Amino acid sequence: MNEARPLPAPDEVTRPFWSACAEHRLCFQQCRACGYRWLPASVVCPRCWAGECDWVPSEGEGTVFSLAVYHRAYHPAFQALLPYVVAVIELAEGPRLVSNLVGVQPQDVSVGMAVRLEFLDLDDRALPLFRPRTRGG
Amino acid sequence: MRTQTSAACIAGVGHTAVAARLGRSAWELQADAVVQAVADAGLRPCDVDGLLTEPGYSQGVIEGVTPHFLRLGAMLGLDPRFTGSEVLGGASAVAMVQRAAMAVANGLCEVCVCVYGDAPSQAPGVWGYSRGDGAAFGFFGAPGIHALAAARHMALYGTRPEQLGEIAVTFRHHARLTPHAQQRAPMTLEDYLASPYVVEPLRVLDCCQISDAGAAVVITSRERARDLKHPPVAIAGFSQAHCLTSLVNDDYLTTLPARRAAPEAFAMAGVTPGDVDLAELYDCFTIVVLLQLEDYGFCKKGEGGGFVDNGGLALTGRLPTNTAGGLLSEGFGGGMLHIVEAVRQLRGECGLRQVREAEVALVSGYGLGMNTHATVILTRG
Repeated sequence: MNEARPLPAPDEVTRPFWSACAEHRLCFQQCRACGYRWLPASVVCPRCWAGECDWVPSEGEGTVFSLAVYHRAYHPAFQALLPYVVAVIELAEGPRLVSNLVGVQPQDVSVGMAVRLEFLDLDDRALPLFRPRTRGG
Repeated sequence: MRTQTSAACIAGVGHTAVAARLGRSAWELQADAVVQAVADAGLRPCDVDGLLTEPGYSQGVIEGVTPHFLRLGAMLGLDPRFTGSEVLGGASAVAMVQRAAMAVANGLCEVCVCVYGDAPSQAPGVWGYSRGDGAAFGFFGAPGIHALAAARHMALYGTRPEQLGEIAVTFRHHARLTPHAQQRAPMTLEDYLASPYVVEPLRVLDCCQISDAGAAVVITSRERARDLKHPPVAIAGFSQAHCLTSLVNDDYLTTLPARRAAPEAFAMAGVTPGDVDLAELYDCFTIVVLLQLEDYGFCKKGEGGGFVDNGGLALTGRLPTNTAGGLLSEGFGGGMLHIVEAVRQLRGECGLRQVREAEVALVSGYGLGMNTHATVILTRG
């Protein structure tokens, strides 16, 4: 039997991120004072330390900053997915996040590849995943 | 070359056996390492007035509400003038030596023992940790983050798997000349390329050992060291730099904070990379060695692959590195075994693996998934 994937455990800092994901919006934080945009969530702007920031939805376009192909499952939920791709995605808006690449064979993924956001629904939460952009897509 | 020296030096080193399973608790390994290091210095328990500890991953830093140094110190019967535990992951061992050197130089204590010890065989699975919400994406374990680093380095600079393999093979050869090393079986580049992927592009043989081991060093003043058993090894320069922002930093996966730590340590010691006779570089994964060679200025960014080619890190190579086999083959000593080996090389005690005329050694510590870094430059006499 497959065990379920471990789900994100939102805390007081990351809750806005995961709440937005549940509504299929991938949001990053943007500083009202200096305009800087970032992930993961913080309680102040990591650049200017201003306290006021907004959660802004990404358009969902990005590129592969780097990737790692797991050939070993550290958790039973991932056994059936082997080999699967963990990737750092750089959003077009700037922030980066760790995610999975889906809909592609690991050997066909490369650094710099253009990818597009999609969501995987899990119970009342949703994970932001990425899929290579099709030509003209 | 003109070396300056801080007021502190290393007067004693010691360690336990290093193996996948020793059947001893982490506490026993830590205490054993302390006893051996203090004996090696020719000192007695009552001489020790400083204690710094690093508990290792499987033990955790705090057991209940008791900090690690408190329980270990109690078992060793110490009421020191100076103590604490270091929580910089693999940078902790080098950072403890720095903290001890600063304490000794400023008179906070005179004889400070720095100890690492862990028994991961008694806590299976502890290395398969995830970070925060990474588990939802299957982002587990130390190999994952380092595979991201290796893949990006390969994509940007054309680094080849064979070059990572050269690092593993060279260190294994050094371990074969090291009686206490955990892995002493021969390894060829073919063996490396045939080893299965863990997290591609990293293979089993890119990953360090998981070991039960303890190791300790004794730091004291140059004055106090004068009458002790061994010629002191000078702590000539040291520095730290850290990258806590991780992925926010554009260079995170391909440049380590070593790049910022390096110039300070070299300047304090009054040496340049060209003066370094041997390096003991933290090597939880092969790629980390390659990155450090670039970030310490032994070669340019992107040229680490070429630097390690053709035995570049061998005992007679461009830069003899991890001369006892490192974490990859000697075994996981939390970075403290790297310091022990550098001291032994500078004392000329290393037999078949002795680097000729070794006078300047660079030791690095690196931890927590590319976040922390500490450097110490040691010199003979």
